[in-house]
Amino acid sequence: MTDAAPRSCVYLDHSATSWPKPPEVVDAVVGAMTVSGANPGRGAYAMALAASRIVFESRRACADLLGVPDARDLAFVSGCTEACNLMLKGLLAPGDRVVVSSMEHNAITRPLHALSLTGVRVDVVRADETGRVHADDFERAVRAEPTRAVICQHASNVTGAIHPVADLADIAHENGALLLVDGAQAVGHLDVDLAVLQVDAYAASGHKGLLGPQGVGVLYLRPGLDATELLQGGTGGGSSEDEAQPQGRPERYEAGTPNTPGIAGLGAAARLLIAHGAEWRAEEQAVFGELKRGLAAIPGVTVLGPAVDEPCAPTLSLVSDRLDCDRIAFELDRRYGIAVRSGLHCAPWAHRTLGTLETGAVRIGVGHGTTRDAAAAVLAALREMLS
Amino acid sequence: MSAEPRRFVAYGFASVHDALAAEDALKAGDVAVTAIPSPRALGESCGIALRIVPQDAEAAESVLARAGLPPRASAEVDDI
Repeated sequence: MTDAAPRSCVYLDHSATSWPKPPEVVDAVVGAMTVSGANPGRGAYAMALAASRIVFESRRACADLLGVPDARDLAFVSGCTEACNLMLKGLLAPGDRVVVSSMEHNAITRPLHALSLTGVRVDVVRADETGRVHADDFERAVRAEPTRAVICQHASNVTGAIHPVADLADIAHENGALLLVDGAQAVGHLDVDLAVLQVDAYAASGHKGLLGPQGVGVLYLRPGLDATELLQGGTGGGSSEDEAQPQGRPERYEAGTPNTPGIAGLGAAARLLIAHGAEWRAEEQAVFGELKRGLAAIPGVTVLGPAVDEPCAPTLSLVSDRLDCDRIAFELDRRYGIAVRSGLHCAPWAHRTLGTLETGAVRIGVGHGTTRDAAAAVLAALREMLS
Repeated sequence: MSAEPRRFVAYGFASVHDALAAEDALKAGDVAVTAIPSPRALGESCGIALRIVPQDAEAAESVLARAGLPPRASAEVDDI
């Protein structure tokens, strides 16, 4: 137990995790730990079947939300980081060449570094100084040499820039390569339809824009594209006598007891987003646009990334010529009760691209439930601190 | 207990996901179905099987074929 309840705050760190979670999500998590608290997929008594149903219905809801025709193509994992690791380590082998953007998060760059030590060649395509990835740069790189995979995030966790994933899919496929996407900052905040995007694999966080609890995420693998699993173990399905991991989906990628409470919460969140997502995204974008325009107008403040009115995921980062980013974040919290994140945001490649590797930046993430009052509060605080 | 045990047909599937999807398809097709622990007779099937009365077998298999969820195995089982 902590000795003090957290004080209320103006929460603007949705790029890290969404907060507060919708009550339906919290109720679903509690339900999966109480009335349906058995181990899913392992037994056929009533409570085990109820738990199995939770996982089954949650998978279907996530598939419906993301435009995946067959829910079996979505694997539940511990989060987007595990999804990225499975996607990369399960599909790449020594001797492969990959082409990757310079805006990637450590969830991509660190597995790639590990793979590079085994003989995977990693060629980086640099984004422009605003952090935007250009499809023609990728096309040149992919055409230059045989390429196993093109790797790019869907939206930046630093600038919110939306990358041309559908164009990259065309480029990859025209050149015999796969397109592997980190969608951590896109799902929930953008209208993501994987059938339209034609990606080969897509990693998603469950607890950011999707509004689920922490500790759950999903990996989409298109039909026929089989990754080598990271873990082997009990699945409930297949033959328990068999020494080998079942190869069918989704069990192949889900060894061990799943995070049923997390999956239950994610399923509840997906159902909410199916019902209300368009309206919520419009509201997010309205608040975000207002905030970004206001911040860009503060003297001495530079908002990194695309221009104010370009479409973006509702994330931005800024630097000031008056205060260091860590000081800004600390003062926003201490003096104003405003929660933002300073530093490199687990994305040193992106900050190197943007020219802020040495300084870091202050990141503000808008999400479901962020009000105009919250945007006004951070604007007023930053004007007071930085003017 | 002097009554003869009732006979059922049990279907096994490749995965729990498929078993639950099959249960939904059968219910939607008005086939009475009960989820049961997978009998050993079903061999390499997941831990959940679906049980129906024998007279519904033809209809059930038709529904499952249309749903793209053919059983991995089937066996006759007794009630207890």
